[in-house]
Amino acid sequence: MGEAIVITSGKGGVGKTTTTANLGTALALQGKKVCLVDTDIGLRNLDVILGLENRIIYDLVDTIEGRCKIHQALVKDKRFDELLFLLPAAQTTDKTAVTPQQMKQLIGELKRDYDFVLIDCPAGIEQGYKNAVAGADKAIVVTTPEISAVRDADRIIGLLEQEEIEPPKLIINRIRPHLMNRGDTLDVNEITTHLSIDLLGIIPDDENVISSSNKGEPIVMEPSTQAALAYRNIVRRILGESVPLMTLESESKGVFAKFKSLFSK
Amino acid sequence: MTTKQLVYIKGTKDGLVLRLDDQCAYSELIDELKRKVSEDGMEGQAEVQIQLGNRYCDDEQLKDILHIVQQSEHLKVSKIKSDVISVEECNRRVVESRSATYVGIVRSGQTIRADGDLVIIGDVNPNARVEAGGSIFVLGRLKGIAHAGVKGNREAVIAASWFEATHLLIADLMELMTNELAVLSETPEMECAYIHSNGHITIDRLQDLRLFRPNLSTFKGGS
Repeated sequence: MGEAIVITSGKGGVGKTTTTANLGTALALQGKKVCLVDTDIGLRNLDVILGLENRIIYDLVDTIEGRCKIHQALVKDKRFDELLFLLPAAQTTDKTAVTPQQMKQLIGELKRDYDFVLIDCPAGIEQGYKNAVAGADKAIVVTTPEISAVRDADRIIGLLEQEEIEPPKLIINRIRPHLMNRGDTLDVNEITTHLSIDLLGIIPDDENVISSSNKGEPIVMEPSTQAALAYRNIVRRILGESVPLMTLESESKGVFAKFKSLFSK
Repeated sequence: MTTKQLVYIKGTKDGLVLRLDDQCAYSELIDELKRKVSEDGMEGQAEVQIQLGNRYCDDEQLKDILHIVQQSEHLKVSKIKSDVISVEECNRRVVESRSATYVGIVRSGQTIRADGDLVIIGDVNPNARVEAGGSIFVLGRLKGIAHAGVKGNREAVIAASWFEATHLLIADLMELMTNELAVLSETPEMECAYIHSNGHITIDRLQDLRLFRPNLSTFKGGS
């Protein structure tokens, strides 16, 4: 019996879908059997970021309405041998096509076959959010160091605390170290004390994330980048390892500069 | 059988006391009262306190009694005292004097309400709201909206370990905590808000609460 984790944020555009894709991929890289569920019915994106868009045959609403079996709707990621699957959202209908009860049943069935079921939650706190949270055992809240994102995270944590799930954990995404060091954005400490939940990890803002998402290859597959390392660290923490928080360099230095700074200490 | 005096007037150092019998029928009492206040022999104007003893009067009856006594140009009622209250009133007072404790973080969009005093152990985050019939005490950071004395208690106060509220309301008054406000301190530690005698919400050091709201203390004894 696996566990279902919902990835949510309240605010849109903070990186829920990117995080879901990367955590799922990183878990598969660790040899776990993972199913990603896109619950953003009507505005699906997870398939695009994973590069699986043109392999979709059936979707989540088809399974729930009984037009197909679950396994028929699951899209296999061929880069990972039988480890990473996607249940895509429907694009032609909207969030009201599914009820929380139906989602709970669906996630329950998926948990039997997978080690991890990651649920990508839509923005907002309405029906789509309720559907996404219904079947989850755990929750990860994604925020960015912007006040608006932190406000919404606070709201969503309040709602999550009323559900029968474990206390949510926090990921701070898109950190720009030079802005944070200058005090122009909230710092990691301020955000965690404000929200007072456990910090699961921090992810630096990395242009490579954008280009790799556009290519349909999650950034974790390029281990040289800082963002990839950050996602891999988070996955190791999810699997129970204790990994120290990465220190973020103000500017990404070249290899030579790194060596130089090593010797100049 | 000697007829008992139903309305008894007594002079004290605080003025006249009008003691009304609490055993006879209400109608009898009213008749007697009417007779008594219209009697001659009174001069000038005196403040009078009405004592009802163990008689329970509803609002309508109280109004009648007040009306009758005020008809006399010599008497001015300072207050009406009764030794009894209804069970309903008693329960209301118990609820209002009780303090409710909430342990946890009040997050954006959430509202915590209490009929009496409210003690929050944890933070009140921006866009969260705490409301109380009495005072609000936050052991933590108050960064949201606080409304004390929602039913009109102007004596209520709002106190917090870290006072950074966005909106403060006490009874029917509201204060926006914008940075134009002169009373805001740099480090808003251990502060409390109350309605100043000038009619505005004022923020002061928590330690000074004992000076301007001594009645909040319910503690008895000690040395």
